[in-house]
Amino acid sequence: MWRYIVRRVVLQGIPVLLGFTFLLYLVITIAPGSPVTHLRGVPNIDEETIARREAQLGLNDSFLVQYIKWLGRVLRGDLGLSFDSSRRPVAELIMERMPATILLSVSSIVLAWLIGIPVGILSARYQYSALDYAVTFFAFVGISIPSFFFGLLLLYVFALKLNVLPAGGFFLAGEPRTFMGYVQYLLLPSITLGLSDIAGIARYMRASLLEVLGHDFLRTARAKGLSENVVVYKHALRNALLPILTLMGFTIPFIFSGAVIVENIFAWPGLGSLAIQAVSERNYPVIMGINLMFAVLIFLGNLIADISYAIADPRIRYE
Amino acid sequence: MMLCLVLSAAAAAQAPAQGGTFRYALTTNPRGMFNPILYTEAYDGLIIDVVFDGLIYIDEQLQPQPRLAKGWEISDDGLSITFYLHEGVKFHDGVEVTAHDVEYTYKTMLHPEYTGVRYGNFRLLVGAEEYHEGLRDDVPGIEVIDDYTIKFTTTEPYAPLLTQFGYGILPRHLLEDIPVGELERADFNRHPIGSGPFKFVEFLTDQHVILEANDDYFLGRPNIDTLVFQRVALDALPIYIRQGRVDYAEISPDNYAEVSGIPGVDLYVYEELSYNYICFNLRQPRFADPIVRQAITYGFDRETYVEILREGFGIVANAPIPLASWAYTNEGINEYPYNPELAAQMLADAGWKPGPDGVLEKDDMRLEFEFLVPEGSRVQEQMALLFQQNMEDIGIKVNLVFMEFSAAVDRVDAREFDTFTMGWSLAVDPDPYGIWHSTSPWNDPGFYNERSDQLIEMGRRETDPEKRKEIYAEWQRLINYELPTMFLSYGVTIAAVNERVQGIDTEPGPLGPLVGLEKLRTIWIAD
Repeated sequence: MWRYIVRRVVLQGIPVLLGFTFLLYLVITIAPGSPVTHLRGVPNIDEETIARREAQLGLNDSFLVQYIKWLGRVLRGDLGLSFDSSRRPVAELIMERMPATILLSVSSIVLAWLIGIPVGILSARYQYSALDYAVTFFAFVGISIPSFFFGLLLLYVFALKLNVLPAGGFFLAGEPRTFMGYVQYLLLPSITLGLSDIAGIARYMRASLLEVLGHDFLRTARAKGLSENVVVYKHALRNALLPILTLMGFTIPFIFSGAVIVENIFAWPGLGSLAIQAVSERNYPVIMGINLMFAVLIFLGNLIADISYAIADPRIRYE
Repeated sequence: MMLCLVLSAAAAAQAPAQGGTFRYALTTNPRGMFNPILYTEAYDGLIIDVVFDGLIYIDEQLQPQPRLAKGWEISDDGLSITFYLHEGVKFHDGVEVTAHDVEYTYKTMLHPEYTGVRYGNFRLLVGAEEYHEGLRDDVPGIEVIDDYTIKFTTTEPYAPLLTQFGYGILPRHLLEDIPVGELERADFNRHPIGSGPFKFVEFLTDQHVILEANDDYFLGRPNIDTLVFQRVALDALPIYIRQGRVDYAEISPDNYAEVSGIPGVDLYVYEELSYNYICFNLRQPRFADPIVRQAITYGFDRETYVEILREGFGIVANAPIPLASWAYTNEGINEYPYNPELAAQMLADAGWKPGPDGVLEKDDMRLEFEFLVPEGSRVQEQMALLFQQNMEDIGIKVNLVFMEFSAAVDRVDAREFDTFTMGWSLAVDPDPYGIWHSTSPWNDPGFYNERSDQLIEMGRRETDPEKRKEIYAEWQRLINYELPTMFLSYGVTIAAVNERVQGIDTEPGPLGPLVGLEKLRTIWIAD
């Protein structure tokens, strides 16, 4: 197992990350627009000041030189300085927002699993019942509805009309940070972010369980006189969960990229608004830093999914 | 006598309450560059405005007024300004503000290693250029006369200079040991110490900035205890206003109807120092004749644009100095009311004839062109469609090109455009040099006119405000005739203010109900 992990990281992870960062840097530098474009709106600024700024930011180097310099710094553990006026280290900008993004992502994943799996199981267990049709209907709605629209809908209903939950944001200045407070602020963004996953997981769970339920070994179990509950929850479920674990690996990237949009709707103090601002300002080090981090996280997510696959199914061995 | 009594009784009833928290909504996070000479984002500027004091501040009439300086004197030749400072003003750490702090602040902006963007404002100070090039160590144009007197001298008279002295004064004793080139990374920028009415307490990224009243402020302690800049999602702003979770917010016209119905919240609409425009590329022969530009302007229904598309939030513009500025004039200004018949007639008289496909042609020129529109504003996109339609009516074919903002700026900078639309936010002083002088890099239309350059240069040198106003009036008439760009509208801002906030300017000028943030010192919160 350890050999497998090392091989995955060295032979697959590193080349993929190198290729990814190279392509990304290429794309953002050849995209039109420059990191100093926004200075244009400052009254009385002269061309010389802008030229100086370009030189300070290293924008006069060719793409390849810029990329190699960036890579060199990254290998020494330095993500560089942001291009905006505050010139703060990118690592710091990311670290101070990371906890909020992880909190939101994890809570929406947990929510998705806590709701999605039981709903999927019930839906399979009572196939073609009214419950099953309702679940199927809402699952399709959930998968189809864009998160920015669903987020606004939740804000409208729960914050404006019912006034039971805050309209996005995080604690007001001076508000005590209680556990219930966190729950209140987290609820709407987590549901928004998790909705399509709840729906997806429920559908997958249903399909997976139905498939397993048709297998011979379950007919044998039933023939032995086991109750239907034991058949489904003890024998079928464990086998049906297996493909769902792989799904987890796939959903992590979507959760993170979805978080960028959801965070903007809810003014959640995570990486989302930083990422969007960085792109519109062509803040290269910040764009690179955030994407590199997401790439690493996604790679790790997939690795963990593969490993948990092996744990869940004794027949799977990685050598 | 009776009247006096009544008035004073009313005043007593409204004695400012002490204490409370005032929340100002921000829809964009500040960067955390709270340094008056290094910041570039307006949101950081808000915090800087209350933490620091400048030599002067700008009042609701856009006139400079004394702040740290109790007064100033301009020499007869218009070349130097001497500021006299208040004595005994303290930074938040208790150290006194002196002329040496002023010298440090301004000299740093001229330093060869200075990383900010304000050098251009002060390059006219005597010796500034050589100092900036590293050719000398001192700046004769900045002279500390004693601890409370400082004199600035320029190489030529420069009328806008006085309004540039609003930059917050930095505490020299905390910063002088940091090399200027590394100043932008100093911890000070995240924990600023100034002499202003509020002390910096906390900045939580994407959440809020908290400030507290400065008990020892030399003009008196603010009435409120705590000032909070609260980050709010743009989409949720109306809800925050409705629930009273913020006391003050600038809202977009899209939200006007929704917010105007909220009990306990007042809305103020005021003109700002900005305008938007459609720029012609005068480097192209077809746009060289002012008659063509005028005809296009007559042919575009700007009233509909302002009244319908902008829902009345704006004022049709005909020259580049907004209504809100003291230099604005409408004397002798042609308003170019919508008149497609006249537009078509003018083009016909100028020799433009419909080609085989109906598009106007003259010699080898053709009035079919691209119109570059930055994406992101629904109103501007609708404006572009209206423009396209109006132009079609007079035989001009407009091809719309929608583009992301930065990409559009790239095309404009490379002069690879036929026409485009954008806007300008202007400084307090009306000096048009930076945008309109033929040598300016931001002269996007490529407008060259000897008289215009002359007037712009005269306006900068003239220190008598009345004469200056006349110069700018003539210049506006010239631009209004030439129309290097078609002016669309002067902008307005809408501020939503909770009624519990007392003491604001209820008939706001261009700086709004808080007069910049000036009023934060004196407002109070009613129960």
